[in-house]
Amino acid sequence: MNRFKRIFPALLPLLAVIAIAETAVRAGWIRSYLVPAPSSVANAIIESRQELFTALFTTSASALIGFLLSTIIGIAVAVFLSSSKAIQRAFYPYAVFFQTVPIIAIAPLLVIWFGYGMRTVIASAFVVSIFPVIANTLNGILSTDPALRDLFKLYGANTWVTLFKLRFPSALPQILTGLRVASGLAVIGAIVGEFIGGQGLGSVVDVARTQQRVDKVFAAVLLASVLGLALFGLINLISHFTLRRWHASEQS
Amino acid sequence: MLRRSFLKTIPAISLLSSCNHAAANRIRLALNWKPDPQFGGFYAANYKTHGLDVDILPGGAGTPTIQMVGAGSAEFGIVSADELVVARSRGNDVVALFAVFQNNPQGIMAHSARKLNNLGEVMKGGTLAIQKGLPYARLLEKQYGFDKVKVVPSPGGDITAFLSDPNFAQQCFVMSEPLTARHKGADVVVFPVSEIGYNPYTTVLTTSGDFLRKNANAVGKMVASVREGWLGYLNDPGPTNQKMNQLNPSMSAASFAEVAEAQKPLIQTAVPLGSMTKDRWATLIKQLKEVGDIQTTPPAEECFRWL
Repeated sequence: MNRFKRIFPALLPLLAVIAIAETAVRAGWIRSYLVPAPSSVANAIIESRQELFTALFTTSASALIGFLLSTIIGIAVAVFLSSSKAIQRAFYPYAVFFQTVPIIAIAPLLVIWFGYGMRTVIASAFVVSIFPVIANTLNGILSTDPALRDLFKLYGANTWVTLFKLRFPSALPQILTGLRVASGLAVIGAIVGEFIGGQGLGSVVDVARTQQRVDKVFAAVLLASVLGLALFGLINLISHFTLRRWHASEQS
Repeated sequence: MLRRSFLKTIPAISLLSSCNHAAANRIRLALNWKPDPQFGGFYAANYKTHGLDVDILPGGAGTPTIQMVGAGSAEFGIVSADELVVARSRGNDVVALFAVFQNNPQGIMAHSARKLNNLGEVMKGGTLAIQKGLPYARLLEKQYGFDKVKVVPSPGGDITAFLSDPNFAQQCFVMSEPLTARHKGADVVVFPVSEIGYNPYTTVLTTSGDFLRKNANAVGKMVASVREGWLGYLNDPGPTNQKMNQLNPSMSAASFAEVAEAQKPLIQTAVPLGSMTKDRWATLIKQLKEVGDIQTTPPAEECFRWL
């Protein structure tokens, strides 16, 4: 019962949208070649399940690798940037570049640099998802409690000890926020990369769109959002286990 | 036309807001690409002399003109015949009025050094950039198989990958990318898709069945203006090219002239300009049924109206 109470509020809007869309298409208020009835999307998933789930698997792999790369490199870059004000001034503007880069414009170049296939897709997922990791991690590291920093200094802790025992742990809530944002972006980046690099859900969307199969386009989009949700859930799980003992956001 | 579709979004949502806008005085013509010679006659037409006020809406990568026409967010649109058949079989009541390209300008280009003789040989190795969703891609797959060639997404009109890889072949418009490639020094061979018997009308002026029934008079005037426009453009493309070049400066004036000349044989054939026959529509419908693009076969005579 308790569990039902927690899930129900999230299900309600979904059920409402499904019901409204199904009614609108069946009643002929919306033409089915513009928006498919939810039932025909479900049919498309069942009918093309093998193709769709193979594609989902491919996209998941690329998005996950891209996301892991942004996590590792993003945190490393943030640590580097946090080491001095001068370094920050010199390099932070270039990190912002990653946030503003229109992935659609550079995606064709990615193909030329990395070739067709998975490497291009991973690169695309990485490029669009790294900035939130850098920005949030840096912000977290820089907002370490000054009193605690002084305490570490007083006890003669060196830079690395301070980093791993104090700055990192206290930045964790912000790092996790960055990762939550990055996880969704990695999925988008992977699918955009697949439009150009081939394979996966991006390719399914591309083909289905050319064939005017709106139902299949929505089916693929639905699976992409399931992937996004799964990654988001994974970060929440990590957040729960790492923060529950001490941080307000995971208590109560 | 269908190619150049590269990074398309799902535009359906934006179409929902546009209700059926059937005002005969202001007419919108939606193109599926930027102003270029394939639309020359539409820009050359003098709609005003027929009492029409026509707004030409240039398109971009993957502009869903067929859905726009069906939804009434444009009274007329440019589509290809295969798109139209698929749309009709899915309940989108759209009707072809004037077929500019009598012969399909779609083809595959490859490097001459490979000494390929036909489409079948293109499928025997190397890389082929093609939109897998296109009916002719699946016809090729059915006929020759894609197991020996590496199939990758089409880069649109971009030929960078083609130029850098001697074993790269890509889908093209026979009067467009091959010319660009030759200008860049590549020795290119082109195989038109009509080689395998796939020859749908392309750059087809289309309207919705609803608009046609309610505004038959305006549709008649539209077709008459377009016919005159094309006759004029084929005769002397210069002034119109200049006008289109201003709207689309990314293409050079020289290319405009060159493409306009190269496309002529695909437009001017033994049959009257723009005309369509039931037989050719029926053949297309049969081919689309064979590759599985359509489940139901719309009657050929309902696909077009020759005014």
